[in-house]
Amino acid sequence: MHLVHFAAARALASSAVFLFITVLLMATAKRISTCIVLFSAQCAIITAEILAMAYVHKSPEAYAVAALVLIVKVLAIPYALFRIVKNLQAPGDITASTTAAQSVFIAAGLILLSFFAVEPYSETLRVDTDMLAAAIALVLSGAFLMVSRKKALAQVIGLLVLENGIFLAALTTTFGMPLVVEIGIFFDLLMGVFLMGLFVFRIRDTFEHLDVSKLRRLRG
Amino acid sequence: MTLLFPLLVPLLGAAMMLVCRRPAAAVRVALAFGALEVLAIGNAVWRIRAAGVLPAGRYLRADGLTSFFLINTGLIFALVLVYSVGYLRHIAEGRFSSPRWFYGLMFLFLFTIMAVYLSSNLGLLWIFVEATTLASALLVGFYNTEGAVEAGWKYLIVCTVGIAFALFGTIVLYLAAVRGGVDPRSALDWAVLMSAAPNLRGAQDLLKLAFVFVAIGYGTKIGFVPMHSWLPDAHAEAPSPISAMLSAVLLNCALYALLRFDAITSRAIGSGFSHTLLLLFGGLSVVVAGFLMIVQRDLKRLLAYSSIEHMGIAALGIGLGGAFGLYGALLHAFNHSIAKSLLFFTAGHVRENFGTLRMERIRGMGRALPWSSGALVIGSLAIVGLPPFGLFVSEFLILTEAFSQARYAVAVLLLAALSLVFGALLYHFQRMLAGDPESAPAGPRLPAADFAVMGVCAACLFVLGLHIPGAFSSALRAAVAVLQ
Repeated sequence: MHLVHFAAARALASSAVFLFITVLLMATAKRISTCIVLFSAQCAIITAEILAMAYVHKSPEAYAVAALVLIVKVLAIPYALFRIVKNLQAPGDITASTTAAQSVFIAAGLILLSFFAVEPYSETLRVDTDMLAAAIALVLSGAFLMVSRKKALAQVIGLLVLENGIFLAALTTTFGMPLVVEIGIFFDLLMGVFLMGLFVFRIRDTFEHLDVSKLRRLRG
Repeated sequence: MTLLFPLLVPLLGAAMMLVCRRPAAAVRVALAFGALEVLAIGNAVWRIRAAGVLPAGRYLRADGLTSFFLINTGLIFALVLVYSVGYLRHIAEGRFSSPRWFYGLMFLFLFTIMAVYLSSNLGLLWIFVEATTLASALLVGFYNTEGAVEAGWKYLIVCTVGIAFALFGTIVLYLAAVRGGVDPRSALDWAVLMSAAPNLRGAQDLLKLAFVFVAIGYGTKIGFVPMHSWLPDAHAEAPSPISAMLSAVLLNCALYALLRFDAITSRAIGSGFSHTLLLLFGGLSVVVAGFLMIVQRDLKRLLAYSSIEHMGIAALGIGLGGAFGLYGALLHAFNHSIAKSLLFFTAGHVRENFGTLRMERIRGMGRALPWSSGALVIGSLAIVGLPPFGLFVSEFLILTEAFSQARYAVAVLLLAALSLVFGALLYHFQRMLAGDPESAPAGPRLPAADFAVMGVCAACLFVLGLHIPGAFSSALRAAVAVLQ
């Protein structure tokens, strides 16, 4: 048993590194389907993390949350996004406004920045600094993906990454919120992705392209 | 049970819309459920008035503040529902633009708003504020034109990202409460947090961090500058009844969420920090919206910027606090919702008769549409804050508070912005009203139902301008007492 406990603690410590890798890979990804797979992988890492925490703290609620993350974020949302990509029959590139190299540099910079940002709080909060930094890095890079990607679906993935960051922040600082609240947040997320999917189809039908940077009619 | 009815009726109404295939039947069922909902809200308000605080189970709770906003929502929703019956007749039948869809989504929208007001838990509050965006995004994109789809997408993305910040703020507040010794199971409950607030003084940094994120998050939904980018598009592209719902109900709903957080933060670490932030957002909104109103060309965009300005004024009132500040701010939010509904209803008529909302193409409205012009004049006189209308009273209260606290900078800023807005609206509206109609059809008569709706708005504004009825005043004072 001691060994499992040790492994769980190690998993917690090293998962931050895996999260950073998914962020950096997402910054370089050229195709929307790559981004979806990376998002799914990112959520799988978070699931593993919640399981490790649930084991260490012996909390049945955390197991339920882990199951929810697995079903909603690792499976359902990526599946829905793949369906949308398939039905759109549009070219699957993301059309970034920065090159892949620039994106990686910016993402790496954001990771460094988030380490600096959590520095002053690490003592008062008594939490794992790496994990909190990973959470802030996800929020920042999600926001970066949203502003630098032009295709509607790529923006949705940016939003999901940002939301992952906030979820992770809650997980590391307070060990999650009450279960009812978590379930509600997942429901909102699912409905949000569904609606955004609906709007993606409407954008294609009314504008005949998916480049949201060309939606410029409403100004001022 | 009292608190469950206002939640269940709109849900049932939305479900019924799935059954009603014929448009005429859908309209009748919608009116019936609307009447039922108004009764349910009235009942809840009556019970809250007698009991003070009405807890119901673990997740529902209603107090004086809830009751005040319920009165506001009930009134505006009833007006919007009656107005929408006439409005929908002119919409071409489409796959997703039938009355069925319209009322189904509107009842869902109402459900989420009622749930925001009735939840006792700040986590649930966040969930339902996010749900209001989801429920209304399709209504914003209802026309399915290029503009409507763009506005709907922008609304969905900007508000979801904004609200995500509020979730982060809520989490930080939860963290502060748990560290301060509150039981984790009830550490998101507003009443528990309110009574535990004085013990949270130690977590000052966390509380400040939480309030900044919450103010940015819910501020996006309220339409504070610089997070307001979604608001003019959504208001301009939505059908007019929905524009009225957004401006008069949704913005107040987000303001309510921010008020709840402000109360906790103020009690824990003093009001200095949170109120300064609100004054900052409020001042910025008032000034920027005032300048942008001068250059607008679309009537509904102009009205949308005016909403930003008035939410800024309410934020200034809350930020000033004191004897009249909060009272004035709540009264102002109420007055603004009535005046802005009147103006959006009028804008619906203008669009219907002139076929456009571009103000430079609208000439001679005074002759072509005498009744709508009357409503436009009354609405605009009220919205710029002239006596004898309600907004004069609430703006005067806020200004009085600013002067009595010797915050001359705030008072001068507010007065300057108000004169700017006065000039902008006068300039735009006199050009629309005067002259000879070029392309306008011979003005059809105003339908009786619309006449009644606009009459009720005007009468409310007039009455609130002359004197605040005793029962309403006590409801307002009860709402203020909850927050102090």
